[in-house]
Amino acid sequence: MTSSTFEGARLVLRKELRCSLREPAAWGAMFMFALTTLACVSLSLSGMTLEPKLLAALLWVILFFASMAGADRGFGDEDLARTLPALQLYGAAQAVLFGKMLYTGVLLLGLAAFTVPLYLIFMDVTLTSPGIFLLTLLAGLWGVAVAGTLLGALATGARVRSGLCTVLMLPIILPVFLPAIALTAAAFGGGAVAVSYLGGMVLYDLVLSVGASILFDYLWYED
Amino acid sequence: MDSSVWRARLLHGLTAVLTLGVLFAVFFVVPPAQGLGYYVRIAFFHIPVAWVSVLAFLLSAWWAAKVLRHHDAHADALSAKSAQLGFIFTVFATLSGAFFSKLTWGSYWNWDPRQTTIFVLMLIYGAYLTLRAAMPDPARRARVAAVYSLFSCLTVPFLVFIIPRFYFSLHPQPVLNSSGSIDMDPVMLATLLAALLDMTLIFWGLLYHGVAGHPPQGKAGDTV
Repeated sequence: MTSSTFEGARLVLRKELRCSLREPAAWGAMFMFALTTLACVSLSLSGMTLEPKLLAALLWVILFFASMAGADRGFGDEDLARTLPALQLYGAAQAVLFGKMLYTGVLLLGLAAFTVPLYLIFMDVTLTSPGIFLLTLLAGLWGVAVAGTLLGALATGARVRSGLCTVLMLPIILPVFLPAIALTAAAFGGGAVAVSYLGGMVLYDLVLSVGASILFDYLWYED
Repeated sequence: MDSSVWRARLLHGLTAVLTLGVLFAVFFVVPPAQGLGYYVRIAFFHIPVAWVSVLAFLLSAWWAAKVLRHHDAHADALSAKSAQLGFIFTVFATLSGAFFSKLTWGSYWNWDPRQTTIFVLMLIYGAYLTLRAAMPDPARRARVAAVYSLFSCLTVPFLVFIIPRFYFSLHPQPVLNSSGSIDMDPVMLATLLAALLDMTLIFWGLLYHGVAGHPPQGKAGDTV
């Protein structure tokens, strides 16, 4: 990434953060979605002793669907506000992509910081390997942020937006999702798991990032 | 009558003869397999449709790359048709695999690595076709579908190399097993190879019949 792209991405991130502070409903909807889902899961399973693998799967299902309530909005909101043409006119593709990705990453970190402690309390989970859990969480959110940003750009202009990004996202994110569940289960005391899974997640995140960077140019520069 | 019509007729004729030959071999020539009996007949349908499912996915991505590089409307039509057919073949592969699984292992579904792989492929096809259906503007539809097709290709190494490490498999060994040798009755192998060629020709015929109305040149989105 050149210094001008880095500077451009920083400016896009700043713009996104300012806009989101002016319009906190997007954050609110995502957080409330996570809280509602978490409450449903916790209430329906109260009093039951769950296996670490099931606890891990439930956590990632909650995080995935809650993130889908906000991770894909970077371009959709611009489209609705009719500001996308201006951004296309003044913003370089890579700066816009990485700025939006960083914003989505910040959004997802906020979501995880809100959801995970509540999940651990409500579901009475003991973390046996906090380091592995934290790294897994970061690698998982990285993948969701990258894929969510590109797929959000793809879905711009669609007749039907509701649920479209979730449909597009699931097959792409499975390579992150399945190792994340295995590693999280291990961090919840579910036995040993190969740390190479974490390496695989990071590698796949990198591949997604490079792939998104190459393909985004074709979306951004129309003819 | 121009040469393309003759080529199409030749392809259809060859496919029909080969299909009849394969059906005859499957029902009257192929011996029962050890441990599977005559259930092995399902494999002569299941393996070729699974092969075509993967072939269609890779071809769709190849033509998607041509759409992005050359804005080629014909390539977009081929990519879309390949994905449509790939989806149908994936459904056939999933259903035939589930029946084979029920008959031999006692349950329709157990997230065997290959079941998982074909299911993820079906999800990708479904997502691709949903995306195309949701895009009203033809030029944008061609572009975003091509990008999604290529982006979803990034999952292929995962499906091939990682998924098998996650799940225990009851699935029979592939024709070419891990030691690199072919462990199959020669009659079965010949029938299977003929069935693979036949299903590939059926796919090819359907593909070109499906895009016959589209001009070979033009800008992506003009005609699709």
